[in-house]
Amino acid sequence: MTTIRITFEKCGEAAYISLLDLQRVFHRILKRSGLPVYYTQGFNPHIYLSFACPLSLGQESLCESCEVKTEAENPDLEQWKETLQPYMPRGIVITRVAVAVQKIAEIETAVYRITMPATAAPALEEYNAAPSAVVVKKTKRGQKELELKTYLPQIAYTVVPEGVAFDLKLPCGTGEALNLNPSLLLGYLQQNHNIPPWECRVLRTGLYTKTGEEFC
Amino acid sequence: MPELSTKLRQALSQVQKPGRYTGGEPGSTYKDKEKVDVRMAFCFPDTYEVGMSFLGEKILYELLNRHENWWCERAFMPWTDMKQQMEQLGIPLYCLESKDPLRDFDIVGFTLEYELCYTNILAMLDLSGIPLRAADRDERWPLIIAGGPCVCNAEPMADFFDVMQLGEGEQMLQDICATVETSKKQGWNRQRLLEELAKIPGVYIPSFYNVTYKEDGRIEAVTPNRPGVPARVTKAIVKDMDSFVPPENFVVPMVGAIQDRASVEVLRGCVRGCRFCQAGQIYRPFRERSPQLISESARVLCHNTGYDELSLTSLSTSDHSRLEEILDRLNSWAEADHVSLSLPSLRVDNFSQSMVEKTTKVRKSGLTFAAEAGTQRLRDVINKNVTWEEIERGCNIAFSEGYTSVKLYFMMGLPTETMEDIKGIADTAQKVVDLYYANKNHAKGKGVQVTISVACFVPKPDTPFQFCAQDRREQLREKQRYLLSCVHSKKIKVNYHDSATSVLEGVFAKGDRRLGRVIETAYRHGAFFDTWEEYFDYDRWLEAFRECGIDPDFYNYREIGLDEVTPWDHLDVGVTHAHLVREYQKALRAETTQPCNRQCSGCGANKLLGGPCFDYHSDHV
Ligand code: SF4
Repeated sequence: MTTIRITFEKCGEAAYISLLDLQRVFHRILKRSGLPVYYTQGFNPHIYLSFACPLSLGQESLCESCEVKTEAENPDLEQWKETLQPYMPRGIVITRVAVAVQKIAEIETAVYRITMPATAAPALEEYNAAPSAVVVKKTKRGQKELELKTYLPQIAYTVVPEGVAFDLKLPCGTGEALNLNPSLLLGYLQQNHNIPPWECRVLRTGLYTKTGEEFC
Repeated sequence: MPELSTKLRQALSQVQKPGRYTGGEPGSTYKDKEKVDVRMAFCFPDTYEVGMSFLGEKILYELLNRHENWWCERAFMPWTDMKQQMEQLGIPLYCLESKDPLRDFDIVGFTLEYELCYTNILAMLDLSGIPLRAADRDERWPLIIAGGPCVCNAEPMADFFDVMQLGEGEQMLQDICATVETSKKQGWNRQRLLEELAKIPGVYIPSFYNVTYKEDGRIEAVTPNRPGVPARVTKAIVKDMDSFVPPENFVVPMVGAIQDRASVEVLRGCVRGCRFCQAGQIYRPFRERSPQLISESARVLCHNTGYDELSLTSLSTSDHSRLEEILDRLNSWAEADHVSLSLPSLRVDNFSQSMVEKTTKVRKSGLTFAAEAGTQRLRDVINKNVTWEEIERGCNIAFSEGYTSVKLYFMMGLPTETMEDIKGIADTAQKVVDLYYANKNHAKGKGVQVTISVACFVPKPDTPFQFCAQDRREQLREKQRYLLSCVHSKKIKVNYHDSATSVLEGVFAKGDRRLGRVIETAYRHGAFFDTWEEYFDYDRWLEAFRECGIDPDFYNYREIGLDEVTPWDHLDVGVTHAHLVREYQKALRAETTQPCNRQCSGCGANKLLGGPCFDYHSDHV
């Protein structure tokens, strides 16, 4: 059995498609396509389909992915891509269909490109100067206080035509491992500096494994 | 791809299921707005999920967009959280594709599927900043048009629309768009445009008609107020169902629509002539689509959308004279294409073994039968030509096939109904329970569940029961209590829906132009989403009636004289007044009428075809 990873962009309007809805789209198209994907055994067989670190609603990404399994030998993966793409909503662009190299559990960090209005620059300066920036993170077991500065001591932003921009590298573990959403920083800036999060753009640009390799 | 505006992103970040407001679904159409001549906003006055389930919109969306220089887009009523955000942030209602506000369009069209969506139409116009009344709009505003079944009595909404379409839109709407295109190029004013539009078959321009009233409040006459306008507008129809290809593309919703599958319309109209059923009258005459076209277009549709389920839709799919051929053709490719078939409404009277086998996806657990009335006498009154023997046969086949639950649909408040008929509902359900246990082949070790679902009957225009008064709520409640007292088995569940919404439905169904003020007043007082129990406020409506000095009882609790001018007399759906009177009188005598495919009862709708509806000499019946 081979694991196949389907990597895609999720931008623009597609940023508002929920994981559940996206799962349904993929599920239906895969079923309909007749591609030789593996179905789980049992009473109610369904396609094995697993999305890696799905984004929050409203965030965009260049590197979303889901994996399926196949028992086929040497599947023509270029043809898989061509079969699936026409059924995708606007903003979902399949960039790659390939045999998976790593496991989803190996993902450790995610990098985001954050763009903010120019008016946010002073707020970022203040953040950089502040000794501490505590936010509340919701977990399965309730709420937990978290020191953002541990993970993000300084924000090195640059001025861009839309305002200011910077890259954000955050832990993005699966299961029990720590996972920090960029919305924690946006929430902090909204609460303490009145920066409206809807004026900020979050674009995930890469996922990386423990060894620093790009997830694929 | 257009960037979403910051305001829109703000709104989307605050609402439930934002995917309903962003468009971009597979199958949606995008064009360059600088390069198109006519832009139409197709509006559904209910939520995205409800609207995306309607076939009519899909048909017209594709038909219009097949014209390269027209662009048809979609808009829906935003849910309350989004509506509030849009009002607060000053985001006008927009179409999902271009995100342009409705007022930038040439044509804004609403579909009138049910009476209780009327306030939503006002809410959507208001959210767009478009004046509600036609009289307050000139050529600087989009042409506001309506279509859909409720146009058969368009009058309560007449003040708000420039143009209403009576009948089927396939040709009519294309003619309207073409006229608007000419109008833009020639620079006509609104009046000139309306005069040209009035020439299109099926088009009704409410402002071209004057209504006068008698002292007692009844209508005296409806008369055209200018030359060249027909005294009666005749419904437009598609004469030949094979004359256009049904949609081969659907916009595939991502946020779950109620009907999320491919569907193909196999026929239009209904042969049955049930006397309570408005659809059965206003969609006459009966027309079939050929098995070949059905199968071929359905296959392309499934391919283009990626749907893995196909349903055959119509008022009564099993009445297609070549249904078996349709199923055979579909089955010749469905499995290889990974598509399963479903028939939404199986009728008890021709529910056969081979049909069950040919539809791979009629869910085994649930079976629904519309018996409508509990006694044979009352079924004869309403001309629901179903006998107990047929129900028995259908249930037995189904039980042997492994079905364990049956849902029986009934109506309450039907003309001539007595307590005997109400008891008959419970008796019918009990007999179905007994049938199950008497059937030796029923599912091993499983019990049966029979659900009685009772709806309140609402008399509708263009039916033989249009003359009848609606039952009052007190009467209905008493009947309901009695029904419950007649049910003695735990295997029988009763679903009953007594709601003030059906009172209002009855009022608007038979209402006249004077109700426009009531609708506007209720809307100003906060009424919208009236179909949604949690937002419907009956007292607010009663208050609006009081404020306008209009008695709602006049419309639904009063019998209409057989010679009375009705608010919909000038809107001709094909069925003649004489036929309705004849059918009403037969109903009072509990006499049935044959279905159209067996014998023509001379309703008059054949004039729309220009010939007889059926060839009774062929063996097709
Ligand atoms: S004209 Fe006759 S056959 Fe045609 S719809 Fe009317 S009753 Fe039926």
